[in-house]
Parts: sequence; C-alpha cells; structure tokens
Amino acid sequence: MDDRKAAILGEIPRLRRYARALLRDRDSADDLVQDCLERALARLDNWQTGESPRKWLFTIMHHLFIDQMRKVSRRGEMAMLPLDGDEALAVPSVQVENIASREILDALQAIAPERRAAIVTVAIEGFSYAEAANILGIPAGTLMSRISRGREDLRALLDDRARRRSLKVVEK
Amino acid sequence: MTARDFTERDIHLALDGELPDEERAAFEAWLEANPEMKARNNRFGTDREALRLALADALDEPVPARFTKLVVGDPGTRMLQRSRWWQAAAAAVLLATGAAGGYVAGTRGIGTEDAVADRFAEEAVAAYVVYAAEKRHAVEVPAADGEHMRSWLSARIGLRLVTPDLTADGFQLVGGRLLPAGTGKAAMLLYEDAEGNRISLFVTSESGSYAKGTYAERNGPTAVYWLDKGYGCAVVGALPQERLAIVARNAYRQLIEGAESKV
Repeated sequence: MDDRKAAILGEIPRLRRYARALLRDRDSADDLVQDCLERALARLDNWQTGESPRKWLFTIMHHLFIDQMRKVSRRGEMAMLPLDGDEALAVPSVQVENIASREILDALQAIAPERRAAIVTVAIEGFSYAEAANILGIPAGTLMSRISRGREDLRALLDDRARRRSLKVVEK
Repeated sequence: MTARDFTERDIHLALDGELPDEERAAFEAWLEANPEMKARNNRFGTDREALRLALADALDEPVPARFTKLVVGDPGTRMLQRSRWWQAAAAAVLLATGAAGGYVAGTRGIGTEDAVADRFAEEAVAAYVVYAAEKRHAVEVPAADGEHMRSWLSARIGLRLVTPDLTADGFQLVGGRLLPAGTGKAAMLLYEDAEGNRISLFVTSESGSYAKGTYAERNGPTAVYWLDKGYGCAVVGALPQERLAIVARNAYRQLIEGAESKV
C-alpha cells in the first residue's frame, strides 16, 4: 500500500475522536470523518512531504467543520428553540456514558464552535499552541483567547447545571 | 517570590504545557499565594480531565471497515454514501443552545471561505430563480426531444449527460437549457412534480475543486451540490430539506453513472 494511505489509516482513530468532540453525535462524527477522508484522498498531491499527516488531516477536518457551521448559520438554523435542559440533548441509548462524561460533553457542544475546536485541539489532541493555531488557521493570540473564553464558558455551563440540579432536589 | 507577575492567562499556559519549565516553580508558588486563582486552576484542570476521560474510549474502538475500504481503494463507491452530518450538527447546536439556557453560539465571522463552491451554488440558484419561475419559457428544449437535448447539451458541456429518471421521487422532466457558468457552460435540467413544484439540475464539467454541501439564502431555494472529479452538480429547489436531499442523491447517482458509463 501507498505510504501516504497507510499514514492516513493510522490517523483515523484520532480523527474520530476529534470529530466526536466537535459534534457529539457518533454517526454525525463518523460522517465528518468520512468527508475528511474523501477530501484528503482527492487532494493527496497537496500533501507536502515532511508535513505531519496528523496536522494535515486535522486541518482538512477543521475546514469542513467550520465551513458547514458557517452554512448552517447562513441558513438561519442557529435560531434558538425553547427547550428544557434535560430533554435537550437526549443521548441515544447505545452511548453508554456516566453522568460526568455526559455533562461535560453536553457543555462542550453548547459553547461556540470555534472555542470548542480550540479547546479540543489543545487539551484533548495535545497539539502545541503553535500547531493548533496552524491547524485552525488563526493567530496564536486568537487561539489563546478562544481557549480561555471556552474554558470559562464550559465552567459557567457546568456550574449552572449543578445549581439547577440542586434546586430540583430542594423542590422535591 | 515570583520571577514575574503571573495572570490567569498563565493558568491556561500551564495546563496546556506551554509554560516554560523554569517558570513552573514560581507559578506554583503564585497559585499557593492566590487561593482564588488556585481554585480556578483546579476547576479548569478537573474539566480537562473529565473531557479527556469522556473521549478516551474513542481511540480504542476498531476502525469501521468503510473507512479502511475508502482509504485503501474502491473509489467508485465514494460519492454514493452521502451524508448530511452538518444538519445533525445544526440540531445539536440548537438543542445545546436551549440547554444552556440562552447561550447563543456565534459562527459569524469565521474566516473559512470556500469561494468556488459558493460561486457554483450561487449560479445554480440564480438559474433556478430565473427559469423555474417561467411557465412557458422555462426550457429551450422540451423533454419530448430528450434524445436531441442529451446529445446537444453533452457536446456543449463536455461530458456525457444523462437525464436522470426521477419518477420514483414524483418528478417528470420538463426539459433543459444551456447556460453560462463561470468561464464555461452549464446544462440545466428542469423537473416538475404533480403539484407543480420544480427542481433543477445544474451540471458543469468545469470543476477543479472538491466540495459538497447545502447552500441557501434566507427565504430562497436550496441547492445541494457536489464538486468532484471534474464535475459540478447542483440540485436546486424549494422543497423541504429532507425531500430535496433524497431527490438530489438519486439524481446525482444517475448523473455520475451516466457520465462514467461507456458509450
């Protein structure tokens, strides 16, 4: 097999994890991985020798993700719906998760996509700030502020949820 | 005893391994001296661990066969497994937005441009807006002259154009016309269902890029498009998204099969 294809194959588990962090829903995440692989294969010639396959593939996936988020927003689907917190992000039953995992993943989905991507590339995928800024196509300073704001958002959401839960307990 | 003034920013640098080793000790001392910052540091650290844990399993799962197959070969089936993950993503954002009690995720101003795809989709939408509204002059060549239309448009746009059979989706071919597209030419095929809903197929052989997506202006028709392998194809209509996606997939499959079949 082609060396480059072998390298791509080796990155699939990480691409799936990244996609899942971005999109939450497993099927949607795998669809994003598939789109990413298709685009990568169509552009194999653009892959410069010496460039890490991981960075190259993550860059492709990030573009696909942001591009579609942008289109989704243009279609006006980002409008708010009055939904109650508990039923809002119903997780399919096959996705066995403990409460802590579910809460943090729910919160991650609730923050702005650019902040989500910044946190995940650095804190989960372990890229350096320089690498992450490169993948996301933003200056390092912007990356930093997305990470810190994203973490604040996450914490605020988790605190809020914990507060609501304790309120419910009191009501009963 | 700090070598420099630390700030909250350093909490993130430290968490993400970006704090220089020689500053580490001074940073720890700063945390000890600032309980509020220490608490913050611990919360962010806990959140990061929770995230890692929540996503840890993903790496151990076996790679689905469809991905291996996709990478190793068999390119012919690639375009058939069309997905619309971004719609699920949109729903997730919507739902999460509700769940968060009012946080509005902002995606405005993201600097990723896919100009070629957008231009192609815009042309397809513009053609639809102009011609689908025409009752009597929507097409140049009516479906009755299908054989002639196919050979004429094929010659003009430079690929073997078939007229997909969309009767299973309730659509009959009305006819087609030749249009400018970018610097080249496009064929537009127009279909109509029993209620008078029209959809168009906008096809070029000019595309040098690779993209797919859904494009819509507010209150306008929607285009589902693919750019690949030298083809550009957009299916445009004002149908509900789900129905349009099904018709589009069906049409695209037939177009690709037709274009790639041996004459």
